Amino acid sequence: MADDAIDITNLQFAWKREQPLLDIPSLSLPRGESLFLQGPSGCGKSTLLNLIGGVLLPQQGKVEVLGQALTDLSPSQRDAFRADHLGVVFQMFNLLPYMNVLENVILPCRFSALRMQKAKSREGSVESAAKRLLSHLELGDASMLKRSVTELSIGQQQRVAVARALIGSPELLIADEPTSALDSHNRQRFIDLLLAECSSEQVSVLFVSHDASLKDHFDQAVCLSQLNQLCGEAAV
Amino acid sequence: MKLMVSLTAQSLWHRRTSASLTLITIAFSIMLLLGVEKVRTETRNSFANTLSGTDLVVGARSGQVQLLLYSVFRMGDATSNISWQTYQKITNHRLVDWTVPISLGDSHRGYKVLGTNENYFKHYRYGNRRALQMREGKVFSDLFDVVLGAEVAEKLGYKLGDRIVVSHGMGGTSFARHDDKPFIVTGILSRTGTPVDQTLHLSLEALEAIHIDWKSGVRDPNSSKSVTDVEKMQLQPKQITAFLVGMKSKVATFQLQRAINNYRKEPLMAILPGIALQKLWDMIGLAEKALLLVSGLVVLVGFIGMLTVLLAGLNERRRELAILRSVGAKAWHVLLLLGLEAVFLTGLGIILGVAGLYLSLFLFQGILESELGVFLPISLLSLYQLKLLAVVMLCGAMVGLIPGYQAYRNSVSDGLTVRL
Repeated sequence: MADDAIDITNLQFAWKREQPLLDIPSLSLPRGESLFLQGPSGCGKSTLLNLIGGVLLPQQGKVEVLGQALTDLSPSQRDAFRADHLGVVFQMFNLLPYMNVLENVILPCRFSALRMQKAKSREGSVESAAKRLLSHLELGDASMLKRSVTELSIGQQQRVAVARALIGSPELLIADEPTSALDSHNRQRFIDLLLAECSSEQVSVLFVSHDASLKDHFDQAVCLSQLNQLCGEAAV
Repeated sequence: MKLMVSLTAQSLWHRRTSASLTLITIAFSIMLLLGVEKVRTETRNSFANTLSGTDLVVGARSGQVQLLLYSVFRMGDATSNISWQTYQKITNHRLVDWTVPISLGDSHRGYKVLGTNENYFKHYRYGNRRALQMREGKVFSDLFDVVLGAEVAEKLGYKLGDRIVVSHGMGGTSFARHDDKPFIVTGILSRTGTPVDQTLHLSLEALEAIHIDWKSGVRDPNSSKSVTDVEKMQLQPKQITAFLVGMKSKVATFQLQRAINNYRKEPLMAILPGIALQKLWDMIGLAEKALLLVSGLVVLVGFIGMLTVLLAGLNERRRELAILRSVGAKAWHVLLLLGLEAVFLTGLGIILGVAGLYLSLFLFQGILESELGVFLPISLLSLYQLKLLAVVMLCGAMVGLIPGYQAYRNSVSDGLTVRL
């Protein structure tokens, strides 16, 4: 469906033919909503994210992101699609150590003309878009922009990564275990800020974590081990 | 593209410690390559320019190279001499403009003594037809005057007015010394970078004079004429070792050469110095090729060093590249990033290497000239050197493709997941 941020049907994927890894009959995330995907390691979480990100293609089935079937695009078109429409936050070390906070945040705009243009039309310039996002994420201190990212705490680094993922208004944010390096107090605050910013920006969120206690923050929650028909077998 | 260049520069700057070591390796290897190439061309040039402006070199019949070696390079000895009559006959030949007689055999503390006449200073040319310059004093006019080459004066510390005793034959400590007839230094030549610098020049008559009381290489004890006796005598030389010929018209050179080679009264040989020099260089030029090969290998080692650093750094940079992929970099951007890095390092290495070459030329030019007799002029890079640099640049870029391709494959398989 065109108004789904993610729509997966009958997806099958195997790294090698004799070792199928994913078999997902159906998974969808409506636009503007948030989905919590829980799963133990070894269930193909990363592979699923790469399929949604358009880095990998399924052997069978369909992956539609924002109404676009990724199988219809060339690798370079998929790269461009990801640059224009997806923001990504990793577990840790999200930032390039040789750039300051501001440079890190505006980096996606330098790869995507669309996001550059969106940021400019909304805020006048990418710098003010970055400042606004950072202040919403409680990093509004004026000295913050020019600081080296290696001076920041892990919690601050993760919030800078969120600002970077959201600059230029991508439609979908993928967060891969972004809280696993944070203590419980910071974890709460991080998720609150993330979701508040995403809902005010109408950004759909795919949040992956092994920590089931976080699922109450999200509109939907699924467990990959139930979703993936092969996971039970693989565990045995 | 601008983004990729600035990313490469920033990333390199962040890793500046290891990057600068790689850079130094490359800069040194390029400096060595250019330096060796410079020494090679300059030695070849100075070698080929040892003698210029002379159309024929004439000596007793032997080998081309041998004649060249003893007449021009003062190496080895002549097999036999040329009679004065024959020399006079050729000098007066209608096609001949000038001749310079050369008479060798004696030495002074290891330096060769050469008997000649004023034509030597008038017609001898080296380099790009440069004439000999008198640094101090004047050409010999008296019988016991001597003109020193620049190196002789410098190494032995002679100045104008000093007295010199010539030894019979070669060797620094010859027992047979012409100490009854010392010479006075009247002139010192400017440095030429040729064997002239290592030569003492006397008149042919002086050479005759010091041998007056000698028979078969030893002094005749029953005869000892004083300096004043000798000065009154007729000192017509009986023979000379070789001579240089300048033609009135170059076109006639071959005609005279043939005539001399076919001269029936005496076994003579005339050679074209340019061709003989080339032939000699071909024989000893193998060393220069080996030298170039070695410096080429040094550049290769530099590149292997760079490749090692780039490949080893790839694992550390896997995260950096995955981050770039996640913010929108395409797979070929990653390839470009690594390729640009190699281009950056090679390019900077070339700049530093060239700068280092000029700096060391500037610093060591004097030492090289005085210690080794190799003069390296500070000049612009030759076309050949520029070509070498272009090849190096190209190889550097190619080397960058290896880690670039590796990173490309990593980034395709890693995708958006960052390996810890």
